[in-house]
Amino acid sequence: MHKKKSEMVFAFSYILPSLVLIMIFSFIPIAMDVMYSFTKYNVIQKPQFVGFDNFIRMVHDPYVWASLRNTIVFTLFTVPVQTALSLFIAAILAGKCQNQFGNVVRSAMFVPVIASAVLVGTLWSMLLAPTGPVNYILDLIGIGAVNWLGGKTTSLLSVSMATIWKNVGYFLVIFYAGIMDIPRQLYEAAEVDGATKLQKFSYVTVPCLSRITYLVMTLGTIWSFQVFDMVYTMTGGGPGLSTQTLVLTIYNAAFKAYNMGYASTVALLMFVFVIAFQILQKRLFGKEND
Amino acid sequence: MQRKSSPFLPVILLMALAIIALGAIFPFVYMALISLTQKTMLNFKFDISEFSLINYSRVFKNFNLLVNFRNSAVVTVSACILNCLVSSMAAYAFAKKKFPYRDTLFFAYLATLMIPGQVTLIPVFVIMKSMGLMNTYPALILPIINAFGVFLIRQFMANVPNDLLEAARIDGCGENRIFFTMVIPLIKAVLVSLTIFTFITAWNDFLWPLVIASKPNMKTLTLAIAALKGNYGTNYGLVMAGSTLTFLPPFLLYMFLQKQFIEGIALNGIKG
Repeated sequence: MHKKKSEMVFAFSYILPSLVLIMIFSFIPIAMDVMYSFTKYNVIQKPQFVGFDNFIRMVHDPYVWASLRNTIVFTLFTVPVQTALSLFIAAILAGKCQNQFGNVVRSAMFVPVIASAVLVGTLWSMLLAPTGPVNYILDLIGIGAVNWLGGKTTSLLSVSMATIWKNVGYFLVIFYAGIMDIPRQLYEAAEVDGATKLQKFSYVTVPCLSRITYLVMTLGTIWSFQVFDMVYTMTGGGPGLSTQTLVLTIYNAAFKAYNMGYASTVALLMFVFVIAFQILQKRLFGKEND
Repeated sequence: MQRKSSPFLPVILLMALAIIALGAIFPFVYMALISLTQKTMLNFKFDISEFSLINYSRVFKNFNLLVNFRNSAVVTVSACILNCLVSSMAAYAFAKKKFPYRDTLFFAYLATLMIPGQVTLIPVFVIMKSMGLMNTYPALILPIINAFGVFLIRQFMANVPNDLLEAARIDGCGENRIFFTMVIPLIKAVLVSLTIFTFITAWNDFLWPLVIASKPNMKTLTLAIAALKGNYGTNYGLVMAGSTLTFLPPFLLYMFLQKQFIEGIALNGIKG
């Protein structure tokens, strides 16, 4: 009996430091977020209860609508492209290049992954500058310069391209590991049946990777919902509202306008979105992937 | 019948792969090259005789980048050590000890991983500010630690045999000693992964330092780069010198520990 009690005390003392941190940085903040969303609060004065004012304001806020639209468009473009690209490259590497060359390609493509989003944003805003190297090449091959970051139709696409450039190496590594785990016999059996390379890819590789593809797309979507650093450095949300995103709206409301209450309301909206997405995904795809 | 694919196809594929790999690396090379020049036009003509380190001396002298470097280093190293210690202790208790509501609590830990940091940004800022911790290292470091480390290490605890722990207990070994002298060495591999993961997270962190470090002497490197870019955007050499310096530590580490980097950053999160 005594031994059990001392084991409990020991376990609790080992969990305590992490529990305190998780309480302060995760559980309590969610509750505070809900509370603040019903207040007007500028950090200096005490929060004032304002009922549903923030929610009503949010529904009429063009920044919020632009953020939602941009975040969705950004996700719908970024996630499929980066998933498909990383899957294709991984399949080619696994099929053709399980050698030194393949290793070099994978290592090279992982370099952008370790760079910060701020650095990638800074780098790409230079590469995409009106007189930058990308336009220089486009000019050379006769397409002509494009106002990437300054144009309302291309700005979001530019941020998305930089994001894809940064992420492909990450997902490529995951796909590659997944392909390596596919039993060789499946490919041999397909070969016996006379399958072409393309058939092997679509009938063996892709179905065997369904769990990983699901994870890659989920992760990619959640990352896309959270895009901030890249937009902050590349466009600042502009031109106009063309690259305004949810996190940028939260940041500006909280730390430019010092309206913590309203910012919390928008944060709550984002929270609901992210959680709803994850629950929905688990419902739709979870069972077959468990 | 034996199928023969066109001999050109592999060559084209290999070339495409080489171009893609170059596309991933070239922007960094360009960054380093620009940092050595005073260019106002961004093209591909580089005159080696005009290369100089003047941008580097300027970012240190006029912009005090060394202070930002120090802050990033302090935050990153402390976050790595603290995260490994705190997470492995909790993971050990979750995996090897019995206590009431253990599974419920662990489930709650997992649930916190679904919460994006941006959602808790404002309350955490208010908490830190009310504790008087704005512009301090603890405020920059502590929020980096989350449930991921506990989750990651707990899976790995299966590699620690219960018999071994029991044998040590029979020999009269204290619980703390068992943890620090037996468990920690057995989970070294996963601690390396977590360290690398935490290193990249902390070194590249932007939004949190942006709101919590307002004093120049507490700003981290990512903030310094964003400020350089914002204020001296067209002075490409200067901005790229700062960027190159920021990228150097993670890049050098990556060169030496490629396999561990790929495992620590990409593969561990997925295995669960």
